[in-house]
Amino acid sequence: MQSISMPVSSSTWQMTALPPLALYIHFPWCVKKCPYCDFNSHTLREGVPEAQYIDALLRDLETCLPLTWGRQVSTIFMGGGTPSLFSAEAMEQLLAGIRARVRLQPDAEITMEANPGTFEADKFAGYRAAGINRLSIGIQSFNAGHLQALGRIHNDDEAHKAIEIAKRHFDNFNLDIMYALPQQTLAQALSDIDTAIAAGPTHLSAYHLTLEPNTLFHRYPPALPDDDTAADMQEAIEQHLASAGFEHYETSAFCRPGRQAKHNLNYWKFGDYIGIGAGAHGKISFHDRIIRQMRYKQPGEYLAQMAAGNAVQTEEPVTLEQLPFEFMLNALRLVDGFDLDLFTQRTGLPLTRVIHEIERATADGLLERDPNDLHRIRPTLRGQRFLNTLLERFLPD
Amino acid sequence: MKHIRNFSIIAHIDHGKSTLADRFIQFCGGLELREMSEQVLDSMDIEKERGITIKAQTAALTYKALDGQIYNLNLIDTPGHVDFSYEVSRSLAACEGALLVVDASQGVEAQTVANCYTAIEQGVEVVAVLNKIDLPAAEPERVIQEIEDIVGIEAIDAVRASAKSGIGIQDILEEVVRKVPAPRGNPDGPLKALIVDSWFDNYVGVVMLVRVVDGQLSPKDKILFMSTKAQHLCEQVGVFTPKSVQRDVLRAGEVGFVIAGIKELASAKVGDTITTVKSPAVEALPGFKEVKSQVFAGLYPVESHDYESLRDSLEKLKLNDASLHYEPEVSQALGFGFRCGFLGLLHLEIVQERLEREFDMDLITTAPTVVYQLVLKGGEVVEIENPSRLPDPSKVEEIREPIITSTILVPQDYVGAVMTLCNQKRGAQRNMQYMGRQVLLTYDLPMAEVVMDFFDKLKSVSRGYASLDYDFKEFRAEDLVKLDVLVNSERVDALSLIVHRSMSVYRGRELVSKMRELIPRQQFDIAIQAAIGSHIIARETVKAMRKDVLAKCYGGDITRKKKLLEKQKAGKKRMKQVGNVEIPQEAFLAILQVSDK
Repeated sequence: MQSISMPVSSSTWQMTALPPLALYIHFPWCVKKCPYCDFNSHTLREGVPEAQYIDALLRDLETCLPLTWGRQVSTIFMGGGTPSLFSAEAMEQLLAGIRARVRLQPDAEITMEANPGTFEADKFAGYRAAGINRLSIGIQSFNAGHLQALGRIHNDDEAHKAIEIAKRHFDNFNLDIMYALPQQTLAQALSDIDTAIAAGPTHLSAYHLTLEPNTLFHRYPPALPDDDTAADMQEAIEQHLASAGFEHYETSAFCRPGRQAKHNLNYWKFGDYIGIGAGAHGKISFHDRIIRQMRYKQPGEYLAQMAAGNAVQTEEPVTLEQLPFEFMLNALRLVDGFDLDLFTQRTGLPLTRVIHEIERATADGLLERDPNDLHRIRPTLRGQRFLNTLLERFLPD
Repeated sequence: MKHIRNFSIIAHIDHGKSTLADRFIQFCGGLELREMSEQVLDSMDIEKERGITIKAQTAALTYKALDGQIYNLNLIDTPGHVDFSYEVSRSLAACEGALLVVDASQGVEAQTVANCYTAIEQGVEVVAVLNKIDLPAAEPERVIQEIEDIVGIEAIDAVRASAKSGIGIQDILEEVVRKVPAPRGNPDGPLKALIVDSWFDNYVGVVMLVRVVDGQLSPKDKILFMSTKAQHLCEQVGVFTPKSVQRDVLRAGEVGFVIAGIKELASAKVGDTITTVKSPAVEALPGFKEVKSQVFAGLYPVESHDYESLRDSLEKLKLNDASLHYEPEVSQALGFGFRCGFLGLLHLEIVQERLEREFDMDLITTAPTVVYQLVLKGGEVVEIENPSRLPDPSKVEEIREPIITSTILVPQDYVGAVMTLCNQKRGAQRNMQYMGRQVLLTYDLPMAEVVMDFFDKLKSVSRGYASLDYDFKEFRAEDLVKLDVLVNSERVDALSLIVHRSMSVYRGRELVSKMRELIPRQQFDIAIQAAIGSHIIARETVKAMRKDVLAKCYGGDITRKKKLLEKQKAGKKRMKQVGNVEIPQEAFLAILQVSDK
């Protein structure tokens, strides 16, 4: 007999198993705010209030414990801002504090974002010793002119030196590269990628520079390569990375076999994450609901709220109507797509909620079944290129 | 009868007609202050916003003059735009006098001149009033000179007033009493009442505003409409003060309303004569004509399932707008919709706006067009209102387009620019007259050129100073061809145009290039071609978009990403899918953005 899915309402909705849990820690300060950056970062005026902030982060984590009781943390990501403005000692203290409060998976991936300046590179050895086992270096470009146009405070020389030092201490590190930069040619974009490949990272993120709202670039747009040139760049970059042995596994992410960014993979598989620190976002599932949290964004306010006991500014349940879109927004970024069961596991919704749209998108050549695993749905190459068009179909009307 | 004065106000838009009417009502105590919502006579919202009166309304005022006598002043409001010249002429026909209200800083405008001429032709006494006299920019002497030069009436004694500040209101009313003749007519003759306006009321049906010329009209009279021969029983008569007040009788010389249980506005045509069945008048009052649509456009719902509600909305609008015509039309590209006929461009805009605003319709409007007369090979003459319906050229002997005579009043400084514009639009100059600092140009222009963008162009080349009036002149044979637009090799009927052969190549090229800008890049190349018959005269390509994907998505704030995609999705919804191409609304009107050589 065929099983019939009951219509899901909030009263009958239930998660069968909780997803893996990751921990994101935000460091909101930068020496200088970059004109393209729309992350929660603030120009540092005085020194970093290191001890105070670490203390706040740990107490912030404590406020989350009742929400994730007993769950193991699988990965940690320290992002920013510029986490590498903090000393290795501070990081050590932070990680020790985390270990004392939550159950951390023994071989957990612990990533830290670092700026490729000399000031930071000198601390790489210390970070490794503190327990950080993966570094993500914001190179962006090796071209001195482009670095300047992007408002970066490091130069190409420092970039090379930072990578040298990183390699000495980390066997797992990522380089961030951006393309379609102001005035950039195809040859220049490829030269950046080739240089990055030659530096020997295990992971490479190649981002199309986007003019995000609320950035200086959005208000005063620089002259960017046209859409066709940018698309040429993307295709050529993908080819260079493929021939260098990198797997393309997410829209902008490439890795050596087995070296996916586990922490990010958890986002894309619609896993859970605690977000602590100024402006950090978290997503936590329960047997009967999924919530999103956001901390106060301004560092000063975050510290003040934390001192008063709790820095959560908003906490909202994700409605059932939004879940399919939110899941797809993440999962369809993965080149390999997702196992159909994952949708049910992570959203608590029956597949009938999306099967019609999946079939329609398949008919339209945006999605396909993995021929080796028919239970797997993935975007076609066209689906990857026109992911927004594909995602729109999952938006509630 | 000798204490009755029937008058209307002739004024250009914004010269303060409605405000002045309100002042009269206030001065004569027609409404309590609390009842005076701003500009009482303009009842529709859109009219308030645009500052124009579409439906003529009226107010019967009781005024105690300085001579101690009590007068019954009937103010008949008139529309103030070129599209409504017939309505204006009927309003004027109901009056013995007209106030020519001129903005003391702006001076005379073509529309005012045209309406004044109509008034003078009909033997209406014109009394000049200078409004906005208290503005710092007011130049009464110059404007008086202008009135005398251009309109040709004496204006030296013109009342200086400010409707806004209430200056000179009594002086104007005194002038009305003194200068406007009392109505003449035979109170004992057979009934002759002129329908000045008619509109639909949800409770009582059609309400007619009439001027009784001869005889008298009371409830229970059986009335006859002389143009349609329809008979109805008069149920109610009365006057507007401007509140409606029932009366037992309307007598010769009076202006008031008649309700006769009529359900369709088309039965009570403006300009028709009402008489009684018992003792009918021998002949109708002069000047009646059937109003014909001048401008046509296709209106289509963006979402095809909104067709029914578009029809309902048009039906509702039609209840109160006898000059709106529509009939179902099927376009291969746009699906089911309506071909609508309008009095003019402004009328089109008003209808479109009301459909969108009051009825919440999402519409695709095709470029406005005119009626063409075709002489077929067999000698048969047919009219077409939609360029895509033009038969194969081999079957057509001759295409005739409507020509209008337009009168343009423009300050000397801009004459050159206006003449250049008229020449670009295939105009032929008929007259040019210097009147003080203004020049009165008369041009014969193809109406098809005027309905496109002539008003806007005229305003822009004259910095807003030129004003225009026009009248249909004739149908004239010209070398006209049909210009088709093909999107990915499919002819889009809704984009077809009839153009003069001499302009066809240029227009075709400009049109496809404009469309290339307006159609967003999609997942494939889109070819846009212009063709005359099977001959392609221009081609542009909207290159395929190569990617549309967010570069970054991590655990952070997803609401903005969601909003971005929602916006993108909503934008696509407002586009019309033609074949597999999504075409935005504005691309269907791309021709209006094509500039001339």
